[in-house]
Amino acid sequence: MLTLRRATRVLQVLNTTQKCEQSFHRWLGPTLRELKRRKDSQGPEKPAHRKTFLEWNYDTEIYAFSKRLGEEFNNDLLQQALTERSYIIREEERQKNVGIEQPTLNLSDNKELVSKGSDFIDDIVKRYLRTVLPRLPEEGIIGIHKHLTSIQTLSHVSFHIGTSDLILCADFPVEKLTLSNVLKSIIAALIESSGNSRAALFVRDFIITQLADKDLHQFWEPDEPIKLLSEILARDGIQSPEPRLIGCSGKNTILACFRVGLYTPDDKQMIGLGFGETVDIAHEMAARDSLRKLFGTSDNILLPFNLKLDQLCASSARNLSVTEWSQKTIPAHPSHFELRQAKEICSN
Amino acid sequence: MSSNRFTPRGFPRVPLQNGIGRYICQLKRITLRFCKSSGSSRGIRDFIETDLINFAQDHPGTALYLKPRRHKSPSFVAEYLNGEREVISCHNFTAQQTIKWLNLYTTRSGIPLMRYAKMWHTECPSIQGVWSPFTNKDPALNITQFPSEMLSKPVWEEKSATEELIEMINKQKISDENDDNTQKVQAAQL
Repeated sequence: MLTLRRATRVLQVLNTTQKCEQSFHRWLGPTLRELKRRKDSQGPEKPAHRKTFLEWNYDTEIYAFSKRLGEEFNNDLLQQALTERSYIIREEERQKNVGIEQPTLNLSDNKELVSKGSDFIDDIVKRYLRTVLPRLPEEGIIGIHKHLTSIQTLSHVSFHIGTSDLILCADFPVEKLTLSNVLKSIIAALIESSGNSRAALFVRDFIITQLADKDLHQFWEPDEPIKLLSEILARDGIQSPEPRLIGCSGKNTILACFRVGLYTPDDKQMIGLGFGETVDIAHEMAARDSLRKLFGTSDNILLPFNLKLDQLCASSARNLSVTEWSQKTIPAHPSHFELRQAKEICSN
Repeated sequence: MSSNRFTPRGFPRVPLQNGIGRYICQLKRITLRFCKSSGSSRGIRDFIETDLINFAQDHPGTALYLKPRRHKSPSFVAEYLNGEREVISCHNFTAQQTIKWLNLYTTRSGIPLMRYAKMWHTECPSIQGVWSPFTNKDPALNITQFPSEMLSKPVWEEKSATEELIEMINKQKISDENDDNTQKVQAAQL
């Protein structure tokens, strides 16, 4: 920073002075160059933990953390949630090295809280998905749930609510697994300090919202859509759909495009539409399209993220599996689930 | 600032879908660095005396540190939840100016300043789906017989020079006749 400032000053001086005399010392340039060379030879600077800085007060940080989230935590529980087993082991070893034979730390690690929080997140996320996507087969629900509770997603959330500086653990920079474990244990701490309902809203606001702006089909897509579609229709007593070529452009060229529609043989209704560079691909895309329509996951659906607590936690029954999915056995919308919010968004 | 060629280019983003669930202030830590005696720190010292408590009460989610440094120009360091850190010089600021700059940095997301390529961004697939040659095509084409005479014509046909000349002559003839007619009417009136 200092060198940059000096360099800009040198440039300014060069631009403005028209005199023959130099207004800065002859040694300045060579010195800066030498300093830079020495700094470069040391290699990149090692990252330092924020707690090694002078302006660091752990209690202040913990207080700001809970206020930032808008939650009331029990202080001891929050402290426990942020303490990893690796930290306790390292501190005990450190005390032994100094000569203390029976080290006492008065710290407990977050192992129990992690498993409790993990179960709670699984439960709430599944309930939410089953409420919002009642027609999606259970395989799809599991796929989306797997993404939302993956280490990748949870560590992202954990980092962005500011846990990375506060975690007491041996590894630095903090590993992703540690970050996601700490998020789970924070949720468990919240259950014990403010109750299940606050924790459920916490999961809704921070974890479930990660689904916004994402393509749902990347998490689960059937392998053989044509076969699956005819199986599902057969369960409803509809013969397997007949594909028709309804558009074709640029045939026998590199930019060929075929458009295939799927029609029910009995009442000639179009149930799916797809296009592709060959007829086979277009047929498969049409089958995927009609499956999406059946499962209620078209590209333009809006997931309501502002569900109230009773709606969020009401649905606990599993969705139908792909092997038994049929339009007849699909339950009607549960009475508690009002898509009012979603409709309001649509009409606006 | 935005015309600076060294400013990175990008799309508006928000960290952690902030605001879809609940809003969290992205400023996690702020350090005020000032000198207790020098004149350039006067404004920031006034701010600490009068408004610091109010600021801390209004932003409980931000950890606030004071760092007096002898004979150093004053500045404040803003640290954000996404790991970004910015140093802002407060040299010769008044207390009012300090409040305004602090307010700016508390309301920011912490994503570095960038030149916006567009004022919006989405990762959702578009509403009409992927484009194909059949998107938004006129349904009347489904029942058209090909080759069709109407569709085989060029969309825009320019007039040839001969046609334009003939048109101009015709126009002249009409205006001549009109002139003759008006002269006849005037003669009759006289």
